[in-house]
Amino acid sequence: MEFSELIETSKVDHVLLSRPFLQPVKGTLCVTSHHLLLSSRAGDKEELWLLIRNIDGIEKRSAGSSGIITIKCKDLCVMSLEIPGMEECLNIAKSIEALSSLESTSHMYPFFYRPKQLNLLEGWDLFTPEEQFTKLSVHTDNWRLSYVNKEFAVCTTYPDAVIVHKCIDDAAIKMVAGFRQGGRFPVFSYYHKKTKMIIMRSSQPLTGANGKRCKEDEHFLAAVIQPDKKGYIIDTRSIQAAHQAKVKGGGFESKTNYHNWKRLHRPIARGRVLQESLIKLVDACNDQSNSIDRWLSKLETSKWLTHLKTVLTTACMAAQCVDREGASVLIHGSEGRDTTLQLTSLAQIILDPDCRTISGFQALIEREWLQAGHPFQLRCASSAYSHAKLKQEAPVFLIFLDCCWQMSCQFPCSFQFNEQFLITLFEHAYASCFGTFLCNNEKERFTLNVKEQTISIWARMNSPSERKHYVNPLYERNNFTIWPSVAPQSLQLWQGLFLRWIRTPEHQNEAWEQIKHIVELGSRKANPSSTELSVLKEDYAAN
Amino acid sequence: MASASSRIVNSTSSSINATNNKAQQTEEVPLLAGEDVKSKEKDVIYVCHFNGPKKGVVYITSYRLYFKSVELDSAMTLDIPLGVISRVEKIGGQSSRGENSYGLEITCKDMRNLRFALKQEGRSRKSMFENLTKHAFPMSSGLQFFAFENKETYKEDGWKIYDPIEEFKRQSLPDEKRKWRITNINQNYELCDTYPPVLVVPGSASDDDLRKIAAFRSKGRLPVLSWIHPDNQAVIVRCSQPLVGMSGKRSKDDEKYLDIIRESNGQTQKLTIFDARPSVNAVANKATGGGYEGDDAYQKAEVIFLDIHNIHVMRESLRKLKDIVYPSVEESHWLSSLESTHWLEHIKFVLAGAIRVADKVSSGKSSALIHCSDGWDRTAQLTSLALLMLDSFYRTAKGFEVLIEKEWISFGHKFATRIGHGDKNHADADRSPIFLQFIDCVWQMTKQFPTAFQFNELFLITILDHLYSCRFGTFLYTCEQQRSKEELRKKTVSLWSCINSEIDKYINPFYTKDQHRVLYPVASMRHLDLWVNYYIRWNPWFRQQQDPVQQRYKELLVVREQLLKKLEELQISDSPTGMLPHVSNSSTSSSPVPVSPRSQTTL
Repeated sequence: MEFSELIETSKVDHVLLSRPFLQPVKGTLCVTSHHLLLSSRAGDKEELWLLIRNIDGIEKRSAGSSGIITIKCKDLCVMSLEIPGMEECLNIAKSIEALSSLESTSHMYPFFYRPKQLNLLEGWDLFTPEEQFTKLSVHTDNWRLSYVNKEFAVCTTYPDAVIVHKCIDDAAIKMVAGFRQGGRFPVFSYYHKKTKMIIMRSSQPLTGANGKRCKEDEHFLAAVIQPDKKGYIIDTRSIQAAHQAKVKGGGFESKTNYHNWKRLHRPIARGRVLQESLIKLVDACNDQSNSIDRWLSKLETSKWLTHLKTVLTTACMAAQCVDREGASVLIHGSEGRDTTLQLTSLAQIILDPDCRTISGFQALIEREWLQAGHPFQLRCASSAYSHAKLKQEAPVFLIFLDCCWQMSCQFPCSFQFNEQFLITLFEHAYASCFGTFLCNNEKERFTLNVKEQTISIWARMNSPSERKHYVNPLYERNNFTIWPSVAPQSLQLWQGLFLRWIRTPEHQNEAWEQIKHIVELGSRKANPSSTELSVLKEDYAAN
Repeated sequence: MASASSRIVNSTSSSINATNNKAQQTEEVPLLAGEDVKSKEKDVIYVCHFNGPKKGVVYITSYRLYFKSVELDSAMTLDIPLGVISRVEKIGGQSSRGENSYGLEITCKDMRNLRFALKQEGRSRKSMFENLTKHAFPMSSGLQFFAFENKETYKEDGWKIYDPIEEFKRQSLPDEKRKWRITNINQNYELCDTYPPVLVVPGSASDDDLRKIAAFRSKGRLPVLSWIHPDNQAVIVRCSQPLVGMSGKRSKDDEKYLDIIRESNGQTQKLTIFDARPSVNAVANKATGGGYEGDDAYQKAEVIFLDIHNIHVMRESLRKLKDIVYPSVEESHWLSSLESTHWLEHIKFVLAGAIRVADKVSSGKSSALIHCSDGWDRTAQLTSLALLMLDSFYRTAKGFEVLIEKEWISFGHKFATRIGHGDKNHADADRSPIFLQFIDCVWQMTKQFPTAFQFNELFLITILDHLYSCRFGTFLYTCEQQRSKEELRKKTVSLWSCINSEIDKYINPFYTKDQHRVLYPVASMRHLDLWVNYYIRWNPWFRQQQDPVQQRYKELLVVREQLLKKLEELQISDSPTGMLPHVSNSSTSSSPVPVSPRSQTTL
């Protein structure tokens, strides 16, 4: 396929671009295979360099002889292009629509993006199951690294190497996989050093209407915990939903067959409900009518903060089971690729200070989201503006990021990364020039050679010039568990993300600059050089 | 789920007391100079809404109510200035059977209630009730405010903070062209009894003119200058409503006077009159002799109504807010409940009004006249907020104190009436949280501009706490005339003495100097937040959000200070490559604190 076939008009002059916070500029608009460019030819700089993949939806209307295209981006920005001539306008719109709805992954921009500074191989092997296992084996020898899923033979959405309990051999794993939806047998997720307890995750058992059993599954779960202990299964569905799932072949672990596990049902919103919540929220945020607009009611009706509260509360519960009750936990919903991952990853942030560092958080995203098979491409196919029929879109990952942001507000010194770090991840999950968030699981990435032919986002984010933008200057390692408050007045709208195109963050940024400045001065104290002393003195005099 | 940051003072206070065990009983109560213990009740149970009942002793002093628990495992104290108390009620009767159902319920002005249970036998409730009523409401019981007994001494003298002549001089007044003059016409409060003695008026208006104009304005509150723009000479002028009445009365002098104000900076356009009220209310005021500047009479003026509601609406709004945050926070429909209080909406209208004023003066380069009905509530909110946006001086700690002294205290915001200082009449319809609303607006601005204000949140909360406490003379009475009669400056201590003597506590570490720009906050509801650290601060389950940052930041500032000192020492000792003494690295050695529990604010 040639991109040029999709581009009806590649260049228009005298296009007026209007964007939030910036003066409108007039220039030449170019449509390329992956970008929308606009240059005023004043100097060499491009006024606009927009990844077409980032476009969530467009609206077109005529204004006199010219046409106006409103571009709504996945990163929530809204801009407009005034194009002289209605025909040109329609052509451009058609080209954008065709290019932005391309579904073939291998035609996406990450496969073409080749910046000079970054190496194709960098960043891809930073976080491997092998490495995770090595770290784990320092503390316990109850677990082993299994390659039963080599070539994704047992479970298409798991990586080729997984950590499983040593009591179960590969043959038994295959049996268990047959009894779990999508073959997602229970795998190791987190080991809590303090209590020696673990968190595992899986998908639902396929008990079906007839109450089918799998003795390997039962045996395995029984063996994971000591005979005198109890474990908790946190099912992210309501008990009714779990019962209904039986009709379709799914189900849950019954008390009689799994007698040392206690099942807790904590329904967490997913799928369409979540996507609609995002749409309502963004709609409310962008509604600029100045009258009495009942903003708070709208915010409440969007239910976004309620969803955050539920997810955080349940993650806290999972963490409490492990930390306070001294019990192991198995988490699953239906497929175990969405709400399950929210819980396992948030519980680790609460419990494990390593996950609150920049590299630890990246590792967490690799382990609990990318390798764990969260279907990024399906879930992030469109964001809040798309007019296309909803398919499997849901802001599951964004909810997770928002929960992290809420915790970082409540514990401002405990996270090594800042708000910008989380916003960047949000942007790249939805549209990116990097390959990291492409595809839905490791198998797809392997098939498309993603790791050989695209660049990892970690390569960029960890480069020294880039990394400094993501560091929280107030960070001070906090080895305690952090229990977030989930009271309604403690959870806030993430203004830095949802309102960032409505009010510039410049004043907030100023404050952060000021903090950085003082922290830097503070860190020079140990052994200042003579020039630094003079800088200090000037600084002192200036104050 | 949430970890508690208990605000109960435990370890520190109990250990101090443990060492003084043999001291006299009265020494168990922290006393200010001039404060004395009036009564002591044993066997009182403090029925805490959050942590359950606590048994202990209650002391009532001339300044405070002090509760100290006697339970060893949960030592706690409660320290409340009597001025904060709005109402004391007896609960339960002789026939009350339930546990802790017999006692006193105390309603406070600062968003909390306290309940004490007492023994039914004996006269302890009667005695506690009488002592509280007597000392908490000195105006009603023929006593004087504690501020007059307070013998505290401070190294700073807060009464010297504000000198109107100095402040006008800072604004370069009187100006070179003598467009404006400073007049002492009101030094005996004869022109206007609720205005300060020193006023700034147009240079060409004679004293006689001023008298005529005052006669045409409600309560004699004629238009006087609040602030002048240093570059474009546009001014902010404040006053009360004109006495237009049903018959549409006019005053040539008032009309001419407003025209002089309009022209004072060479502006030929219309003078903008910001009437803080909703237009309906302004019209309705004609029935009682008031009104607004009509088009016919004031052809070169344009009236803009800012839709800010009156004191009764604001009081009701705050009452609703208290209902949803105290004692327990309305959980299930938090946001819509919050919306139904309209508190944030009122904040929005006040802020939005002030933004329009500031914008008119700064970008529009034209003068603005502001009034409401009497010009001492909404007008004070608008002028002070507009000044805060326009002039960075007021964004410093001392500048802010000047702003309060000037726009609120000297221009006769009726603090005594709005707060009900020492008055037992808790249901008085003249009470209203106008000043609280102003401080809330300031807090919203500090949130939106974290580097623009020299003071921090604690500064604002401390001001609000002493708005009620009656420990200082600062907020007492309603106008300067009364204050000078009571010799307030001679006989009481200023709140600013206390604050400025410990100013480090109140400094915003984020502050960056030299921001001469105009601040335009966003008044959209999306950018306004409920000030949880104030309104929900009594709830121990609520986490203070900004605390750890400020804490960490302060540490770093201390380190920097230390380093600078060492640097100076080194330079004095003149050792170019001398050994640098090791400065302890407090940024890494301090133990990680997920939440820094704040102890109960002792007033």
